[in-house]
Amino acid sequence: MKHLTRTILGGLVAASLMAAPALSAGIDGAPAPFDKGDIDIAVVSFLGGGDWLQAFEAGVKRQADALHVNLTVSQARNDNDTQRSLIEQAINLGVDGIIINNGRPEVLKDVAQKALDAGIKVVAYDVNLDNPQIPQIEQSDKDMARLVLEQAVKDKGDGFVGGAVYVAGFAPLDRRYGVWKDFVAKHNLTEKATWGVVNDTVPASVADQTKAVLTANPDISVIFTPWDEFAKGVKLAIDELGVASKVKIYGVDISTADIQLMNEPDSAWQATAATNAAVVGEVSVRAVSLAIAGQFPGPSVLLQPTLVTRLDLAKGEIKTIEDLQEKFPAFRKSDAATAEWIPSATN
Amino acid sequence: MTTLNTESQNPMGERVSAAIRASAVFILLIVMVAGFALAQPAYINVTNLMSILQAVSVVAILGAGVTVTLAVGGFDLSIGAVAASSVMAASYAMIVWGLGVYETVPLVLLFGALVGLVNAFLIVRLRVPDLLATLAMMFLLTGLQLIPTAGRSISAGLILPDGSTAKGAYDPAFLLIGRSSFFGIVPAPVVIMTLVAFILFVLTERTRLGRLLFATGGNELATRLAGASVPRLKTLAYVLSGTLASLGGIIVAARVGRGDVSSGASLLMDSVAAALIGFAVLGLRRPNVFGTIVGAVFVGLLLNGLTMLNAPYYTQDFVKGAVLVGALALTYGLGRSQAR
Amino acid sequence: MPLLRIYGLAHAFGPTKALAGASLEIRSGEIVALMGANGAGKSTLVNVLAGTLAADQGTMTLAGRPYAPCSPAEATDAGVVTVHQSTERVGAPGLSVADALLLHAYADGSAPFFLSRSAVRRRAAEMLQNAGFELPLDRDFADLTAADRQLVAIARALSRRASLLILDEPTASISGRESERLYTILRRLRDEGLAILFISHRIADLNALADRAVVMRGGTVVGEFGRPIDFDRAVETMIGRPLRAARPNARSFHGAPVLEMAGVQLVAGSTPFDLALHAGEVVAVTGVLGAGKSRLLQAIFGTRTPAAGTMRLDGKAYRPTTPATAIEAGIFMAGEDRHRSSLMPSDWPGSTLAPTVSLPHLAKWYPLGFLLGAREKQEAQRAIDTLGIKASGPEAPMTSLSGGNQQKVILGRWNAEPSRVLLLDEPFQGVDVGARHDIITAIRANTKRATLIATSDPEEALEVADRILIIDHHTLTPAPQAERSAEAIEA
Repeated sequence: MKHLTRTILGGLVAASLMAAPALSAGIDGAPAPFDKGDIDIAVVSFLGGGDWLQAFEAGVKRQADALHVNLTVSQARNDNDTQRSLIEQAINLGVDGIIINNGRPEVLKDVAQKALDAGIKVVAYDVNLDNPQIPQIEQSDKDMARLVLEQAVKDKGDGFVGGAVYVAGFAPLDRRYGVWKDFVAKHNLTEKATWGVVNDTVPASVADQTKAVLTANPDISVIFTPWDEFAKGVKLAIDELGVASKVKIYGVDISTADIQLMNEPDSAWQATAATNAAVVGEVSVRAVSLAIAGQFPGPSVLLQPTLVTRLDLAKGEIKTIEDLQEKFPAFRKSDAATAEWIPSATN
Repeated sequence: MTTLNTESQNPMGERVSAAIRASAVFILLIVMVAGFALAQPAYINVTNLMSILQAVSVVAILGAGVTVTLAVGGFDLSIGAVAASSVMAASYAMIVWGLGVYETVPLVLLFGALVGLVNAFLIVRLRVPDLLATLAMMFLLTGLQLIPTAGRSISAGLILPDGSTAKGAYDPAFLLIGRSSFFGIVPAPVVIMTLVAFILFVLTERTRLGRLLFATGGNELATRLAGASVPRLKTLAYVLSGTLASLGGIIVAARVGRGDVSSGASLLMDSVAAALIGFAVLGLRRPNVFGTIVGAVFVGLLLNGLTMLNAPYYTQDFVKGAVLVGALALTYGLGRSQAR
Repeated sequence: MPLLRIYGLAHAFGPTKALAGASLEIRSGEIVALMGANGAGKSTLVNVLAGTLAADQGTMTLAGRPYAPCSPAEATDAGVVTVHQSTERVGAPGLSVADALLLHAYADGSAPFFLSRSAVRRRAAEMLQNAGFELPLDRDFADLTAADRQLVAIARALSRRASLLILDEPTASISGRESERLYTILRRLRDEGLAILFISHRIADLNALADRAVVMRGGTVVGEFGRPIDFDRAVETMIGRPLRAARPNARSFHGAPVLEMAGVQLVAGSTPFDLALHAGEVVAVTGVLGAGKSRLLQAIFGTRTPAAGTMRLDGKAYRPTTPATAIEAGIFMAGEDRHRSSLMPSDWPGSTLAPTVSLPHLAKWYPLGFLLGAREKQEAQRAIDTLGIKASGPEAPMTSLSGGNQQKVILGRWNAEPSRVLLLDEPFQGVDVGARHDIITAIRANTKRATLIATSDPEEALEVADRILIIDHHTLTPAPQAERSAEAIEA
């Protein structure tokens, strides 16, 4: 009894220390309420982990620090119901703004509306909440898919045999896959198979599936992976089957881990197109901050992607996202959702 | 052997330690709530407390089912999967078959009852050990829910395996089960949870049937020799547990409004944890519905508070485990020193 | 010089003196039968010899040297090997007979760590050759008969150079033919110089085996009988009074029986028997463990279907399939070992006095299903009052009651509703003398139903019953006691 009490009290103390709000000072010359500071923003992510989320949250933190904003960061770990609960909790907490990072529109529409009703500003990344009051932050999925697939056609020519990893029901994946379908029609490609799964262990599961697909369809020479976790799985499968010289990956998204995979000798991963996850995080914080300050950033905030090929990486000796940001200025910064008074995030 | 009455031997010590055991969880609960409220005043407001109850409602309902199977001396590992498949079943019924709330809800509950019946058949008739039978059922259901849609998540406009597009949509009345609240304060799932808790509490603690369910778990032979039908009691327990799990699934479906493939493992773990923490509530050292509900709320209060205080999610799992270990050590440890 | 000499051995469990100065001698090459009623001190004596209990007082010498084993292993090392009654624990299902034979060698490390199947077989075969009998070495231990399991235990005992072999009711659960085989083996072992001490109340065992019978009562040895052994006198010595006076108020019953059994075979191949029970009559069935006492009661209660025969209850055909149908028909049973068959574990719902009484009657007392009202408490209080149960009240946990009072609660349970036949399986297990008297009075006071009691203790049977039946190899037979009580009735 005594021990348990002590444990729990200890936990409480530790937790409250962690959360001790950095009662932040305001920013001179910023519009209210940023001139006074003490602004709370909650970030609710659907995902539970992964390189992308890490970079995203790092970006969020950088921009939030620059804006002297207090953050509450939580992850729903791929659980719809939990994400709803987390958003409700943020509403109860009385935050000034909520950033919804990924998720399912059906699940979130009504709680997002509830937040708006409570006077809380909401921005959503990569989930279409179909609400004009909620700025929709998007990386241009179509552009990303178009960039890599153009590269694929350039490398392999028209009419190659390919496959795609795809799970329906995720808006960005749907859009990227749509571009692939267009390419299949326009460039006379053969789509031998589509497969994919979204669960707690995406790369491992996708690798298992991919091995089966490649064994059944040895003529596939290009695999389009509209999400980098898919690409990891496919790469694993290709390496384990030893067919890296035959089958090439054209992916979307990038992270340091992805760069390392592409840099491996004889890597099958030829090209990717991405926006910087950290920049997405920064833009999200800027967008919600603009909304809080009464400067609505518009219903749609678009981020432009960059094409990155294996060759680019090798030439620039790029090994990490940081290297990439130095080599590709477009990758480092986005001018989306900015204002005079918003200080730029410092690395 | 000649002890007539332990109470008369050491009345004070016995009573004090029993009182500590009985109230320990509540004392912790109060300390915890006070601590969180101090650190974050928003924690204690009514809306947040209702959010917490809403967040634990599904776990509490599933936990009540686990409690009933624990009472008959069994264990139902399939409840998480039943709840998860019920989300898929409800979505499929509405989106693919275009059914409304009044057809979907009975259908899904029937599905849960049926799974319970199959569990009971395996356990009672074929004498498969309950852990193995329900574990097998869990795998079966996790796979089964993928088959109708070929592994796709179910949302409006679903493309079926045969290439056609599903025309149905979630019945707005169905969504009310998960999303509406009474008087704008009490969410419907909380009301459902309270009803389930009340009914199951009365059933297990205040009825003949409950007495016999517990008797089955306490001493199966004695129950049989007293003229009760043990197979029927066990079957009832698993059917109840399956039905409650599907009710939990209906609430999840009504909150999220779509069907995503899931194994329901976290639901299972959380509801088992709630049932086990329940052993410590009132110092009963046995499964009990009231304790399970308190256990679920306890974990909910803790997790909500930790999230508000920005604790990362991995500390939450750790804290959940620590509470469980602590609660069990408390009940059994104190119980033993008192029995000596 | 005797092999084993015991002098003034005493051991007490709290205030109860289980052994009160027992003295005994056993010579090499001799078979001694140990007789005694429940609580006479046989088991305590065996436990002290086997090293599982330490004596409070007294001395023992083995082959002239002081003998005071602190553990079963020490006793075995000294050459005293005990074969207990429950031979299931000699091996385990899944083990071959050869493995079961070598189990002790695996455990004490005398067998090499790596063993080939052939080496195991060879060593086991050697053991059997030494013991002088055969067993199927490759058979699964679980498939062995009780007699063969006993032989495994004996072979293991002999492999450890035993000088004294102790057997606890060795023929209790085995058939007549198998008993004969065991007798032959034991006699040969005796002729080779082994001393054998065995506990048994079977006339057959005594006649076939015992060179001498030693009778215990009240923790001491009260008599010794050489060959030929007078069984009736030995039993009289055992219970401490002449058999004739056992139940002076035995009643006789005539008229239509409540329960009739005709041509019943409890197991396939056993000799068919008839049985009739009358209202108000108390009948005891006695016999050794495994003779079929419980099986007879279970056949009447519907938990085991007999191989053949018919039953009639109040003249109407009675064919119970479950306890529920038996209870419905008015046949109640309190099973053997109340903790296993009647009580809930402590702290579990229903582990207090009132729910223990009400468990079979819930549907009758609470027809609406809700446990509202004080019915079960009233009934419990009535049981407490009528049976003189010492408890703090209807809410008292069963674990707070003494064994005798627990048994009274079980009796109160089955007295709470009227019945035609009450079956009691070993109702006096762990019941002190005072409570036993109360229970017997209560059982005999009921004149509306017939009571059938199974007990392995002849003394208990004499105390409680109007009529005693002996069961052996699953069939009821007339016995000396039965004839005597019949004489007493007529006198």
